[in-house]
Amino acid sequence: MAKTIDLSVDLGFIQLKNPIIPASGTFGYGEEFQAFFPLDILGAFVLKGIYKNPRKGNPPPRIHETAAGLLNSIGLAGPGAEELKKIIKRTASITNTPIIVNVCGESDEEYLEVAKIFDVMEEVSILELNISCPNVKAGGKCPAQDRDHTFRLVKQIKENTQKPLMVKLSPNTHDVPAVALAAQEAGADCISLVNTFLGVAVDLKKRAPVFKNVFAGLSGPAIKPLALKLVWEVAKTVSIPVIGMGGITSGKDVLEFVLVGASAVQTGTINMAEPCASVRIIKELEETMEALSITNLSEIKGRLKL
Amino acid sequence: MKDETCIVIENRHISKKYYMLKIKAPYLAENAKPGNFVMLKASSGLDPLLKRPFGVFNTNYPFTWVYYEVVGKGTAAIANLRADDPVQVLGPLGNRFPAFTGKNILLVAGGRGIAPIHYAICDYAPANNVFLIYGARSAGDLNLVEELKGLGLKKMFLYTDDGSAYQKGFVTTDIRRIIADHHIEVTVSCGPDAMFESLAHEIGGIGTENWVSLEALMGCGFGICYSCAVKTTADEYKKVCSDGPVFKMEEIAWQKQ
Ligand SMILES: Cc1cc2nc3c(=O)[nH]c(=O)nc-3n(C[C@H](O)[C@H](O)[C@H](O)COP(=O)(O)OP(=O)(O)OC[C@H]3O[C@@H](n4cnc5c(N)ncnc54)[C@H](O)[C@@H]3O)c2cc1C
Ligand SMILES: Cc1cc2nc3c(=O)[nH]c(=O)nc-3n(C[C@H](O)[C@H](O)[C@H](O)COP(=O)(O)O)c2cc1C
Ligand code: FES
Repeated sequence: MAKTIDLSVDLGFIQLKNPIIPASGTFGYGEEFQAFFPLDILGAFVLKGIYKNPRKGNPPPRIHETAAGLLNSIGLAGPGAEELKKIIKRTASITNTPIIVNVCGESDEEYLEVAKIFDVMEEVSILELNISCPNVKAGGKCPAQDRDHTFRLVKQIKENTQKPLMVKLSPNTHDVPAVALAAQEAGADCISLVNTFLGVAVDLKKRAPVFKNVFAGLSGPAIKPLALKLVWEVAKTVSIPVIGMGGITSGKDVLEFVLVGASAVQTGTINMAEPCASVRIIKELEETMEALSITNLSEIKGRLKL
Repeated sequence: MKDETCIVIENRHISKKYYMLKIKAPYLAENAKPGNFVMLKASSGLDPLLKRPFGVFNTNYPFTWVYYEVVGKGTAAIANLRADDPVQVLGPLGNRFPAFTGKNILLVAGGRGIAPIHYAICDYAPANNVFLIYGARSAGDLNLVEELKGLGLKKMFLYTDDGSAYQKGFVTTDIRRIIADHHIEVTVSCGPDAMFESLAHEIGGIGTENWVSLEALMGCGFGICYSCAVKTTADEYKKVCSDGPVFKMEEIAWQKQ
């Protein structure tokens, strides 16, 4: 008889029923997906990034599809923290799956203010600090591009909040493991990566960039090998759990991220292309583990043979 | 709204780059209202990655029809589908055209914009006086005229930009006269942005109730990604997929007016 497969994941500060966590910005506020499958099947899910005040977002075009990838320049449009509180109460009433809030800010003060607002909500399990937001006081650079800024910001948030803190790294800096280490030293409970890679799309007819902001964020299967490399490097560097993401679309992809050191994963763009993707990926994960005689993910976590 | 794999019944080439896709999609056929759209993808592969939005042309349980123009890789992949092939379908999506009875309604279609307008004609013709203005670039872009004739329209006005078929002109050329002659109370239009801009200029504020069905680049089709923003006159962005695709003409901030 085949051994039963255990998909559960222990992050130390929380137990998840499986490693599948839909990523910020690609899963709305969760409730929209209840029409496709029960949110209860997920390990956890991350809400779309939130600032203190409502934001309109960037002028269109906001997306451009590339070869097996997607460039986006949404501009973090959203309803603001007060409105999100109401949405979270609604979402929490339909599921017991842990809810993760993606905390954004144009300044360190705003990050802290937003983090504090959701820190006191019992419906929220984890805060994910999105340190890839352009910072007005740092000339538009984001905290994730500077290890010292990352350290300062994470320390300040940890000193003023109670909930577990996941720090989400940007790949758009030359030494990602150093930034990961700074986050760990400042007290982060876990790391998630990668956010989108900056890229450019060209409109040949107009001889101009497709996006008004010129740069946009690349996600989807196109970035998977780049993401695997960074997750591997970061997982080797830090001792806190690492949540891997970037181009995951199948159960096999999940196992690849676990092999390079991820404890769990986030799934992004695939949720937009295929709203029921989570159901399929969880099923494929179980089938692939069975086929490869893996009973628990901890057996292979970080065990890439070199 | 459902995300499912459906079966292609027929994928008929109409002219130039235009096709008519017939799929067996019972849930969609039962639930799609005039004005709704669907997101389609030819395969479960990763390139193209996202589904593409298309207006519902018609339904007849368990079938749904989509009329489309090949413009890039997503539509090219759909054009390669053959009978019995699987196709990824998400729908029905968006709001619907408002319901009317006993009204004089003018429908306006530009090019492939005839797709949702066709479904609106089927819906409106039995209980209203329905007129159609339909224009396209040239002869091969103005399709399905025979099908339109059997739908109970009071009158149809056809134009091509270059005069290669029917009258030379744009959908806006005679629109004010047509509205006056037939005591039009409501207009419902679908077409390219440039057409809407001219339309808003011609008929915005002349007293008719005007509805438009918009197109936008879409990432998800059901309101979660904020890709499909359109600027409103209140200087806000609305989501074409979930706030629309049907809007009051006055609500949209047209570029040129
Ligand atoms: C609600 C809705 C209903 C639609 N109904 C129909 C329909 O019934 N029949 C039909 O043929 N088409 C319809 N469309 C348009 C159709 O979705 C696009 O033509 C299709 O997505 C193009 O995909 P592609 O991969 O072939 O082209 P791509 O490779 O994605 O694009 C080709 C080129 O067209 C541009 N482009 C594509 N879509 C748009 C857009 N919406 N606005 C501006 N530029 C764009 C791209 O930037 C690119 O330059 C509808 C769109 C919407 C939003
Ligand atoms: C449309 C869109 C919106 C996104 N919004 C956010 C966001 O609000 N906050 C954030 O931290 N990441 C955001 N991301 C990044 C994703 O969460 C994820 O890190 C990235 O897309 C890589 O994963 P993927 O390749 O599986 O999509 C967004 C991505 C996309 C495509
Ligand atoms: S297409 Fe995603 S919100 Fe409209």
